[in-house]
Amino acid sequence: MPAGNDQLITISWQQVPGTDGASIYPIVRKIDTLSSNSYLIATPDAIILIDPGGLPEQAEQLASVIGEIRQEQDRPVIVFLTHAHIDHFAGCQGVPAFAHPETVIFAAHETGAGILGRGDCGFTQADLLGQKVVPMKIGLPLLTADRSGRPGVPVDLRLANGARVSVTDDRIGTGGVVLSRERIVFGPGPALEILHTPGHSPDSICLRLGGLLFIGDILFAANPGVAGMRGWDQAALIRSLDGILALLSGGGVSYVCPGHGRVIPLDDAIRVLSAVRTDALALANIAELNRDRAVQTAAFAEDCMEQVNELFTVMVGRLSYVSYVMEELGESDVAGRMESLINSDTIDELLKAFSDFAEEHHRHNRVPVHLALKAAQVVMKLERAFRKDELSPIIDPTLVQRAGRLLSDYTTMMRGFSPPGELSGCDIIALVEALVTGLSVSSCSDEEVFNSADDDAAFMQILLARIGTRPLLEDVAFSMEPMQGPLMASIDRDHFTDVLTYILEDLVGTGADHITITVQRDGRNGVLTVSGKAGLLPTAEQRKTFRFLQGLCNRAGGSLEYKGDKEIQQFMITIGLM
Amino acid sequence: MEIIPAIRDGTTVLSISGRIDTVTAPVLEQVINREIEGGHRKVLLDFSAVSYISSGGLRVLLATAKKLKAPGDRFGLCCLSAEVLKILRLAGFTSIFSIYPSEGEARAGW
Repeated sequence: MPAGNDQLITISWQQVPGTDGASIYPIVRKIDTLSSNSYLIATPDAIILIDPGGLPEQAEQLASVIGEIRQEQDRPVIVFLTHAHIDHFAGCQGVPAFAHPETVIFAAHETGAGILGRGDCGFTQADLLGQKVVPMKIGLPLLTADRSGRPGVPVDLRLANGARVSVTDDRIGTGGVVLSRERIVFGPGPALEILHTPGHSPDSICLRLGGLLFIGDILFAANPGVAGMRGWDQAALIRSLDGILALLSGGGVSYVCPGHGRVIPLDDAIRVLSAVRTDALALANIAELNRDRAVQTAAFAEDCMEQVNELFTVMVGRLSYVSYVMEELGESDVAGRMESLINSDTIDELLKAFSDFAEEHHRHNRVPVHLALKAAQVVMKLERAFRKDELSPIIDPTLVQRAGRLLSDYTTMMRGFSPPGELSGCDIIALVEALVTGLSVSSCSDEEVFNSADDDAAFMQILLARIGTRPLLEDVAFSMEPMQGPLMASIDRDHFTDVLTYILEDLVGTGADHITITVQRDGRNGVLTVSGKAGLLPTAEQRKTFRFLQGLCNRAGGSLEYKGDKEIQQFMITIGLM
Repeated sequence: MEIIPAIRDGTTVLSISGRIDTVTAPVLEQVINREIEGGHRKVLLDFSAVSYISSGGLRVLLATAKKLKAPGDRFGLCCLSAEVLKILRLAGFTSIFSIYPSEGEARAGW
């Protein structure tokens, strides 16, 4: 390890800790879906490459470095794949240096060898990423059924490139935490250990050389958009994590080298892998992340981000307004505190990053999963950028709640669960009346303002809420045609309230000066109609907004129709009555 | 984003086109400040070609309203698209500065 640095330096040769004479040349990339890290290792007996990555230029760079060290001392080259996902190997498929089995031997778990041998586009994730895989021969299948039947017995193999290796199969661990292992000896130099750690994929392996443990993608296996990929297995993942955590706690490993992102010191790795295990435990019964689900999730991502963009801009705007008024009143400290409740610069940057990404995505007609993953990344960061509990008492709490629910719905869907809908019996008429009342009057009554006058802190809180909360229907002529209740339906109250609020906001925001709501019984259904005269949004925006509202209405337990012309806009929500 | 400045009847009209986002909002602020520092204290922003405004953009509008509140100063927006009008309304900004359907109506009122 370089002195004064707890990281392996990328693109530079350095000693492998805990070995005599092995050195490593890591290519550590910024995390993306295009290509993995690569770790090139030179021992006195062999040149070991762990994951050539997904990009031809990366494979070419590796081929060039391999060429240089072979000139210094020729040794057999063996390319190990931590698993057969396309971002870990596809880069070498068109590079001549990797095309000759008599020179370069590929090694992968026996299951991965089968996947690669038939050029399987499902298990390699090629389908999901819109790519093709050329079938490839794996000269050294690992952890084979044959060898596992003879634990502890070294098996000598002569590979197609002339290399002789000795492979010994056994198991490590005790009780329920057992991992299948193979120990590969290339000569008098250090041995390489292979551990079967399925879960992220059936063929996932970890490799250990001296004090380094190469763990492939297990670190990301519980992430939204990764969990549920073809071949993902929750139970196997948890068993593998238990095995790896036991191994790390047992000593001897000082650094963990993941398939993506920076090399991690032991203590951090134990902490992060334990967190992955906790996340993985919550992922029972998730749907498979296939191309169809990626298309569906990407569409939801765009609709969702459109609304998130609007909600966050409005929330920041409200808060800036409160801060502005406080500044005018000479309350600079309070004004500053208001600005700190939401990290508006970060939010703007995140929203712009997604908007730019989406524009590029459509321009280059990229595969949907990339857009879905980008949205997941942005959503996770947005969740950290605003303090819901402190915002709710100041600005309209329905804005904060809706933003929170939207982010949570997206993460839930991305994780492979159906967006949550908690249906329960509810009187629609009472619900609509309560919502409309809430949107028509100020959150703090005059009486509350008077009562707080003797308490500075309470008065300030109420003042902030009065400034930050603007009843949506305050300046709009509103009528609700009376109907005799109750009208009981099975709905998700939160989502139903949200969809109605979005519709009312859309009408008010685009200039409706009169809004009418009617609720009618239509056979076994209840039909709620919201109409208003409004300046129409442009058609493209309207389509996206409507698609979003339809999805939300379905999650609420109803269905949505829209009729609109230059004169009037009409939204009709149909709900099955109990 | 593109900004075309013009002076008509003593009013500085800044015709803006494109998106006012995290990158372009500071540019807009600079242009507005330059006008104010140059003694132009009647500023009208023509938003007819603005398709999007971020929270950074909203803050620029607030900061401008703050600078132009002396007697005789004027600050307003005209020709807003439905999307931008919706954001300004929901954020509560329509009570801070005047919003006009057209440039002519703004200048007639000033």
